Amino acid sequence: MSHSFPEQVLKHLFSFLTSDKDRNSLSLVCKLWYEVERRCRRSVFIGNCYAVSPEILIRRFPEIRSLNLKGKPHFADFNLVPEGWGAYVHPWVAAMSRSYPWLEEIKLKRMVVSDESLELISTSFEHFKVLVLLSCEGFTTDGLAAIASNCRNLRELDLGESEVEDLSSDWLSHFPDSCTSLVSLNISCLGSEISFSDLERLIARSPNLKTLRLSQAVPLEKIPDLLCCASQLVEFGTGAYSSEMRSDISSNLEEAFSGCERLEGLSGFWDVVPAYLPAVYPVCSRLISLNLSYATIQNPDLDKLISQCHNLQRLWVLDYIEDTGLQLVAASCKDLQELRVFPSDPFGPEPNVLLTEQGLVAVSDGCPKLQTVLYFCRQMTNAALVTIARNRPNMIRFRLCILEPRTPDYLTLEPLDAGFGAIVEQCKELRRLSLSGLLTDRVFEYIGTHAKKLEMLSVAFAGDSDLGLHHVLSGCESLRKLEIRDCPFGDEALLANAAKLETMRSLWMSSCSVSFGACKLLSQKMPRLNIEVIDEMGPPDERPESCPVNKLYIYRTVAGPRFDMPGYVRIMNEEAAP
Amino acid sequence: MASTTETKQKKMLILKSADNDEFEIEESVGVQSETIKNLVEDGFTFVPLPNVYTKALIKIIDYLKKHANKTDSNDEEIKTFDKDFVNTTFDDLFELVSAANYLHISCLMNMLCQTIADRIKDKSPEAVRKIFHINCDYTPEEEAKIRKANAQAFEGQFDESLD
Repeated sequence: MSHSFPEQVLKHLFSFLTSDKDRNSLSLVCKLWYEVERRCRRSVFIGNCYAVSPEILIRRFPEIRSLNLKGKPHFADFNLVPEGWGAYVHPWVAAMSRSYPWLEEIKLKRMVVSDESLELISTSFEHFKVLVLLSCEGFTTDGLAAIASNCRNLRELDLGESEVEDLSSDWLSHFPDSCTSLVSLNISCLGSEISFSDLERLIARSPNLKTLRLSQAVPLEKIPDLLCCASQLVEFGTGAYSSEMRSDISSNLEEAFSGCERLEGLSGFWDVVPAYLPAVYPVCSRLISLNLSYATIQNPDLDKLISQCHNLQRLWVLDYIEDTGLQLVAASCKDLQELRVFPSDPFGPEPNVLLTEQGLVAVSDGCPKLQTVLYFCRQMTNAALVTIARNRPNMIRFRLCILEPRTPDYLTLEPLDAGFGAIVEQCKELRRLSLSGLLTDRVFEYIGTHAKKLEMLSVAFAGDSDLGLHHVLSGCESLRKLEIRDCPFGDEALLANAAKLETMRSLWMSSCSVSFGACKLLSQKMPRLNIEVIDEMGPPDERPESCPVNKLYIYRTVAGPRFDMPGYVRIMNEEAAP
Repeated sequence: MASTTETKQKKMLILKSADNDEFEIEESVGVQSETIKNLVEDGFTFVPLPNVYTKALIKIIDYLKKHANKTDSNDEEIKTFDKDFVNTTFDDLFELVSAANYLHISCLMNMLCQTIADRIKDKSPEAVRKIFHINCDYTPEEEAKIRKANAQAFEGQFDESLD
């Protein structure tokens, strides 16, 4: 039957199947489908830039319009990946500039992006529309100026949390007057001055702008003017939210915010002056998302703001919210799905706020849709975790960061095994988990037994032996990423579960107990894994094989060993190859 | 011999299926198909459809009639009709897709492809082969190689929101 389907019908049918998973399935049906599918695949996501090469990508999918590519391991966010490790985007851009003239979107995360790459992007793809650089580094405002000058149909420029070197304040002036296509502009990560008049003109000629996130350099008194020409905004990130108190600014602000009738998300609020907060009250009831993770406001101003945001689905906030503020959230935000509470003083020896396990328990009790949690605190109990698990079996992502490593249940002084055990046992859909506090191998036994849908697990300062790692690798059948630091996990568990590593995207282990000898053995056993030993102290083979390696990054690849690593990275495969 | 009374009558077309059944329909109904429209513009009133069998043609004529009478008020009715229309076996859907493709009826084509796509979403390659009556022509080695590249390089996103 299908063989009577002409190719164009198959193409049409395939165009309704967009997930990579479905497209992969289509490619396995038969040779004809493989051919048709690969030639009409328009977008591709690559979770590790070293799992495949640009050449392999291009050979298989010649008509890509959108590339989503990730680079460094997640622990790079915690400075665990040394400077110069890799994840350079340039080879990808160079290859795509030759083969994908119709490319429209590039989305990168944790990659090193040079100005040269940005210039090449800006001149190679005639219909380029979307550039998203999340937590990237290596480029300057000169590269951004090239993008602004040359990408005439740019819809989205999102600099995420990238580190951008500010060389000039006038890069925004490079957007030509004819550029009116912007839908999303996020420059919140930029440090230095930007030309306000350029910004204002750009915004005024972008009638479709939905998302605007400003940098700290944009002063509060400019916001009313900006908002007046962008009243269609859905997401707005303020710049610095401070100035000398002037009633005219306050009333202008209030009027400007009131005019934004579609506003659903607010962020920014650097250096917030609480007296100006009432200006946003008129939009509070519409807000679905509120990011106050840079806003050092405290109670009662914080309580007063949040108590007006009844429709919040996502709240990011500093721990100034305290338990009482979270009780307020629990009582008033019945649609809340995601809560992140960040530490205002992570390195202080003593708590500076009254934020305990009680705040999270309250939210888990009061917010029935809560499914994503990131919670930094200083104390926890098993009883609280058990209550949270019982309250929210619908939890999907649960990250608890108790600031001081190996902190026990402060009431019983027991490890938190039972508490996290309750989380994995009750929350059947749990896909993401970060552990903290005092934990023994027992918690990993619970995880291996119950967390069957877990895809990503982060572990630090936990466990007592190899058994912990063994439970996770042998039990968590959906696991895709595992990152571990400062745990006594070593050779035996790793070697015993070597085959498991080929089913995962990556494993990161730093300051654990894996020996250099075991890495060698593993590379012989699993030649298709790249096993990177990262040691800034010098070549690992100058020490006894039994010495533990400093950092270990293991990932599967169809591209073979990479060639762009710095001196302190040793990829085991080369020597292991027969 | 066109008289004034005849021109006021609705113009009719005869469609002839691959199994030689003939169906008379109004021209305004038929021209929703690009293929028929082109023939009508060339002056044809008798349209042989050698690639469309009677069973599919009956259903398609039903569809065209329903959609020709689209007004602001019968939106819900048409939605219900469409829902019933696609509520059939895969083999029937394939037959209809082939016919809709030959007849160039793009809204019907989209609806059918969307329906098939929704119903094969998340299915394994083996299940898809069975549904489409396709024999796998890969050697086990070839299949394993593609499976590996899919899994290792093009695995797709999992929950990337917290990574």
